[in-house]
Amino acid sequence: MAQTRSSSNLIWNLLSYAVLIFLALLSVGPLLWMLLTSFKVDDDIVTRTMVYLPTRFTLESYIKLWNQSGYPALVINSLVTTTMTVAICLFTGTIASYAFSRYNFPGRTSLMLGYLVVRMFPAVLMIIPLFIVMRTLGLFDTSLGLAVAYTSFLLPLFVWMLKGFFDAAPKELESAARIDGSTRLGAMFRIVIPIARNGLVATCVFVAIAAWNEYLFALMLTSSTGSRTWPVGLQLMVGEFQLPWGMLAAGGIISILPVIVLFALVQRVMVAGITAGAVKG
Amino acid sequence: MATLSIKGVRKSFGTVEVLTNIDIELEDGGFLVLLGPSGCGKSTLLSIIAGLEPSSGGDIIIGERNVNDVHPKDRNIAMVFQSYALYPTMAVRRNIGFGLEMRKVPTAEREAAIQRAAELLQIEHLLDRKPGQLSGGQRQRVAMGRAIVRNPDLFLFDEPLSNLDAKLRVEMRTEIKRLHDRLGTSIVYVTHDQIEAMTLGTKVAVMKSGVIQQIADPQTIYEKPANMFVAGFIGSPTMNFLRGTLERSGETLGLRHGDALLSLPGLEQDVNAYAGKKVVAGIRPESFHSGAGEGTLSGTVDVVEPTGPDTMVILSVGGQLLTARLGSRDRPKLGDAMTLALDTAAINLFDPDSGDRI
Amino acid sequence: MSRASVAALPPPRSTWDAINPLRLLGELSETRYWMYLLLLPSALLITAIVLFPTVYGFQLSFTEMRLNRPVGNGAFVAFKHYARMLSDPIFWLSLRNTAVWVTFSILIEFLVGLVAALALNRNLPGSKVLAVLILLPYFLPNVVAGNMWALMLDSRVGVVNDILVNIRLLEGYKAWFADPNTAMATAIFVEAWHSFPFFTLLIMAGLKGIPSDLYKAAEIDGAGVFAQLRLITLPMLRTIIAAAVILRVIGLVNSPDLLLILTQGGPGRSTQVLSLYAFQNAYQDFNFGYSGALSVVMFLLLMLFAWAYIRLSKVNQD
Repeated sequence: MAQTRSSSNLIWNLLSYAVLIFLALLSVGPLLWMLLTSFKVDDDIVTRTMVYLPTRFTLESYIKLWNQSGYPALVINSLVTTTMTVAICLFTGTIASYAFSRYNFPGRTSLMLGYLVVRMFPAVLMIIPLFIVMRTLGLFDTSLGLAVAYTSFLLPLFVWMLKGFFDAAPKELESAARIDGSTRLGAMFRIVIPIARNGLVATCVFVAIAAWNEYLFALMLTSSTGSRTWPVGLQLMVGEFQLPWGMLAAGGIISILPVIVLFALVQRVMVAGITAGAVKG
Repeated sequence: MATLSIKGVRKSFGTVEVLTNIDIELEDGGFLVLLGPSGCGKSTLLSIIAGLEPSSGGDIIIGERNVNDVHPKDRNIAMVFQSYALYPTMAVRRNIGFGLEMRKVPTAEREAAIQRAAELLQIEHLLDRKPGQLSGGQRQRVAMGRAIVRNPDLFLFDEPLSNLDAKLRVEMRTEIKRLHDRLGTSIVYVTHDQIEAMTLGTKVAVMKSGVIQQIADPQTIYEKPANMFVAGFIGSPTMNFLRGTLERSGETLGLRHGDALLSLPGLEQDVNAYAGKKVVAGIRPESFHSGAGEGTLSGTVDVVEPTGPDTMVILSVGGQLLTARLGSRDRPKLGDAMTLALDTAAINLFDPDSGDRI
Repeated sequence: MSRASVAALPPPRSTWDAINPLRLLGELSETRYWMYLLLLPSALLITAIVLFPTVYGFQLSFTEMRLNRPVGNGAFVAFKHYARMLSDPIFWLSLRNTAVWVTFSILIEFLVGLVAALALNRNLPGSKVLAVLILLPYFLPNVVAGNMWALMLDSRVGVVNDILVNIRLLEGYKAWFADPNTAMATAIFVEAWHSFPFFTLLIMAGLKGIPSDLYKAAEIDGAGVFAQLRLITLPMLRTIIAAAVILRVIGLVNSPDLLLILTQGGPGRSTQVLSLYAFQNAYQDFNFGYSGALSVVMFLLLMLFAWAYIRLSKVNQD
């Protein structure tokens, strides 16, 4: 066994590095493979012998994707839906989160718990009625309808995450502002929200990523003409026989690029927020 | 029970040196206090003694062993942390016996040792509780129980009383002293509180910015501080510093400050080299008295603070403010002119540039 | 009192002031009901979009609703669906598969997530970059994750197959998802790959809450790395791990997304889980009533599990 503290420390550090590098490769490897695949010609992808690096570097998968499958429309639909979802969450959730953070009222804990229990309802249970309701309301196959459906499970998450950030902002500042003559509304908008701005952005990004990625609800509540989103479109390309791997890869890469970029930008704040909420919860 | 030798220990983080050339010898059964303001390196030094951090140079010798490369658990030391660091998910009993448990001491022996330690610290009734259910003072005792149960060669205390309120602090201070008297184990104690240093230590090392300013027994540090920093750090209210020029007229020495002359009979320092030069006189507030004496200072009363047993009078002497501790009967009024005599033998003269005692 | 606080504000100084909506909102914010107003929009939304459909769904489970039959829809049939479930062999199979699916996924996700969190917590240089990479899979969509691995594990062109053959672990390319013996395990692997960062995130948060002094004291007490893990770290992570497990179980039981993309329940029902079964009953057989009943059963099982788990961990604590 290691005799001194520093030598045993060294061993554990080396082991940690080994584990971390292995996991990082495992996490990122498939993405790299997909990236490589998206640049390969079809002959390189579907061959008898494995081709690792592309023999020819080509963009034909991307071009095919863009032109043939109506992918651009799908991406735009996703953009619209995601934006609407974030907007709804932003406007209704921010004030709710603020209320949970600042005010103590009867039923507060049970209401908060209620927001969470809501997550326990199976998606399948809700989709059927939602399907029927949306049809009746004429919201079926619309971006707005889908966005509203998304808020059902994203809004509680939004409120919960944001509450953690609000809790971290000192309450004394609002009291000082109110003494200075501001109303509660003014204090909320002029003082607290700017302070929690980072957390607000991170929470919005988290919700945006979730909405952008979502598959099941989109599958059920949209159809080809109206507002189908890219995850459904991508999956539908998986045909019965020959799988268009090149296009699938290209589609995948295009669609997760924004996710990766956003994630890398806000990950520190977002991680802090998720963890803060978790610790308190 | 063992001696502790710290020889030439240094510590740097990158280019920043946090400990410079630390040399300390502690006799067997002694109580060493590392005293200094925050950031002076005392906690770092304690960590190095414990083996939690490596030094950048120098040796730590416990008993006869050089423990530089020895793991903390094999140094036969025990530590009490400022935050107590009690294991929250374990009962007090297991907390105390944890070190023995890790060393595979048989259960019967372990239980007996835990019982002894608990009796000593009067916490038998708490043995089955969890740390979360205890008060601050009780947690302190449990932390100490965990330390003493292993009969180590050396106890390390890292500011153990800082988290307690004033009254509890005094109580626990006495407890620690009592413990030391009973067990006789060597102790290294880190604190920024000079009262703790004075009451508990047999040896005090005053530190500043990683350098030891003075090591001596408490009394010496109090009466003959090695420099102005030490002088100002120990003693409350702090020592007065009166600036002036040293004058010699024949056999007598005097301090000329402003227009006045303060005679300094009975001064124990050899200050001949400084005749005619600027010096700083360190005068403790306690050395003032309102009777008669050879050395006197005159000034106007600036502030009067009755404290109950004493009266603190801040005197403006030629523009310099001095604090005097007088009896409760002395009640001068603001603006009064006042002349006070001093015990001049207790005065320390310092070099104004280096701050060192002459 | 609301009146008093409104009166305390300065009176409107002009006509615009009197009708300025922002100002009126500000006045409104001083009333006693402000906090309820803040909660109102979201509460309404959630009631409408969640509670109402859920109640409707429960109701559905008691009715006969087959969209591919012209008549007889909406008829109340009480517990007919539930009774049918008990004698439905596919139901029991799905239940068993769900148990396997959930248990092993969570086990692997927890272990890998824990190890990653512990390693990241050492804050070695480069940790920040490694953390971003390691956390990435969780934020990828199911669609992409599923298809990526489908490509890599493909029986003809899968690169994983190629590597395994080259290092002599496999004889020939394997059809991971087409073999009933390996389909479930492979799906579990993909699921674990996708969601282990969830555990890493939460455990990392929990680790930050453990004071470092505890580990110093443990070192001096002679506790080695594994003892520290067992006796200090894990007990103090108990609540967070419980929360993570419950959330993950809910996620795994409730959403058929990944399996829908990877296997659709095949081959031959070896990966048929309850959520998939309910989904297929609804959208392939159009038997909404039965599907609703299955979903209700899923929900009840989840509530049972959550309650049992919480009870168990509380009992352990004392």
